Amino acid sequence: MRYVKIYNEKMQEFLERLKNYGKLYAPVKISDKFYDRKEIDDVKKISFDCLRTIMPAKKFFIPPYEELFEIDIENADYKEKIEETEPFVLFGLHACEIVALRILDGVYLDEFPDIYYANRRKAGIIIGLSCLPDEYCFCNLTRTDFVDIGFELFLHELPDGYLIRVGSPKGHKIVDENPDLFSEVKKEDIDAFKMFEEKRQKLFKYYGSFDNIRYILELTMKDKIWDEEAEKCLGCGNCTMTCPTCRCYDVQDIPDIDGKHAKRIRFWDSCQFRSHGLVAGGHNFRPTKKDRFLNRYICKNAYFYPLGTSYCVGCGNCTYFCPANINFLENLIEIRRGINA
Amino acid sequence: MKKLKIGVHGLTSCYGCQLKMASLKLAENIEIVYWNMLSSKGEIGKVDVAFVEGSVSTGEDEEELKKIRENADILVAMGTCATHGGVQGVIFGEDYKKCFKEIYGDNNIEFDGRIGEPIKKYVKVDYNLPGCPPEEDEILYYLATFALGSYPEEKDYPVCAECRRNGYPCILIEKNKPCLGPLTVAGCKARCLKYGIECTGCRGPLPHNIAWFDSLARTFKERGMSKEFIKSKMEIFGKQYENMEELINKVFE
Ligand code: SF4
Ligand code: SF4
Ligand code: SF4
Ligand code: SF4
Ligand code: SF4
Repeated sequence: MRYVKIYNEKMQEFLERLKNYGKLYAPVKISDKFYDRKEIDDVKKISFDCLRTIMPAKKFFIPPYEELFEIDIENADYKEKIEETEPFVLFGLHACEIVALRILDGVYLDEFPDIYYANRRKAGIIIGLSCLPDEYCFCNLTRTDFVDIGFELFLHELPDGYLIRVGSPKGHKIVDENPDLFSEVKKEDIDAFKMFEEKRQKLFKYYGSFDNIRYILELTMKDKIWDEEAEKCLGCGNCTMTCPTCRCYDVQDIPDIDGKHAKRIRFWDSCQFRSHGLVAGGHNFRPTKKDRFLNRYICKNAYFYPLGTSYCVGCGNCTYFCPANINFLENLIEIRRGINA
Repeated sequence: MKKLKIGVHGLTSCYGCQLKMASLKLAENIEIVYWNMLSSKGEIGKVDVAFVEGSVSTGEDEEELKKIRENADILVAMGTCATHGGVQGVIFGEDYKKCFKEIYGDNNIEFDGRIGEPIKKYVKVDYNLPGCPPEEDEILYYLATFALGSYPEEKDYPVCAECRRNGYPCILIEKNKPCLGPLTVAGCKARCLKYGIECTGCRGPLPHNIAWFDSLARTFKERGMSKEFIKSKMEIFGKQYENMEELINKVFE
């Protein structure tokens, strides 16, 4: 891998130059507590401390609402509404978010690639950023705390700048085209990088492995903890909508009032909603709130075979954004009690 | 194409839903058979779809509603008064005569009044078109699907979904605001949250017994709100939800 360094003094210019490669989106504060990734005009507004955005990076690839088809009802015909996607730059993605995108790739780019997603993915330039975990983070348990692929550049904080890992041909291009911004990595930078990594590892709340959590979950599904937790749940779907790897959508045809045209739309759905499990004939696969509640735990802790990790990347969003204060991590730790490593 | 014959009716209500509907441009494939607010011509007669606004608050309302039902293939409850009794339904459970006296005193007003109730208590409702008033896109969607001989898919998910899809800050988490988004049926695109104002539940509680008054009351309680306060918020539009009181009480036992 290629490594370069950027000094803090050059960061502002670096962010400005990123705009040459596409519209720049980065985390900004949107309220007292929350952040979201927005289009950046003034690079001084970018937040470097943001750990989680209220809308995960998936919004750039599977937007919350989108139009898929234009339908001509009279002629029983339709046209896919596929637009050219201009390149765009996503700044400040943490390791978990980058793994999350790779998980979405597995779902949307499998043997039946979703062209809407594929186009946007091709256009997206990913700039990663190191982070220090808070009490909600557990990417160490899910083995998603460090990424080696899935970004153009990854910036690791140093006392006087960033150590940059160059992760793709596009990343090389950015470095090559802006030689005035980057310097060589020195011995003290490597030491600082190691210190940062050590400090970071010490900040996680729990240690060990969640590799077996799926099975423990299956074995404890009848435990009373799940009745109690499901009882608290509002069925609001905040957990899945803010989850970087939740990918469920619903599709609907909306006819025009004149009956001649219609559009097919898709929008974010959630398994916490009743109709998610509803099928033709009125049968519901998940008729109770508890069924729906557990479905998310099972789904997120299932294995994503291409990466050998779970679908959950340990970002903590689902807990942080749960209005009912239901703690995903603590619930998993609770059922895992007895395993000390 | 065959024209869709519709009737639009107002029971006890503010006529806001009808006004919203009247402001929309309908196409020529829709024929208005009866719409008293727009024209005094016409009578309640056979229609494909009847849209009924308002709650049943008088004997006349009940009679009219039954007549509408007999003449309509499809009956749609339009707006929160029709679907849940509306704001006027908040006195549900109280003595009507007492309430009447407080408002009208001893004046002699002649009608057979009663406490406003959702129309499903009196007739079979085929579809609910929620909102206070309903949203333009939803009114058009319902009409358009009926005109095609199809039917609308009713939302059964909460306002929170739209709040999240729009990326608004959650003010229940952030500011401990008593937001009723989690138990209110979506469709308004989380309009109030866009302005940082908590949802007061104007579109009415979710259908299919999934309005979790108990879980939300518990969340509110944990955030320091009193039972009386929680109840006063939840009953504005939710008073006639089957077991609202019971669900809230459970949390305070
Ligand atoms: S399940 Fe929760 S912790 Fe895991 S990836 Fe989704 S939001 Fe993050
Ligand atoms: S947890 Fe639910 S919403 Fe998320 S991907 Fe799984 S089934 Fe879909
Ligand atoms: S965010 Fe919390 S309350 Fe809402 S559906 Fe998820 S677990 Fe339930
Ligand atoms: S602000 Fe209200 S509507 Fe929005 S997510 Fe929070 S509880 Fe739901
Ligand atoms: S957010 Fe709530 S109160 Fe506001 S319009 Fe929507 S349903 Fe009504």
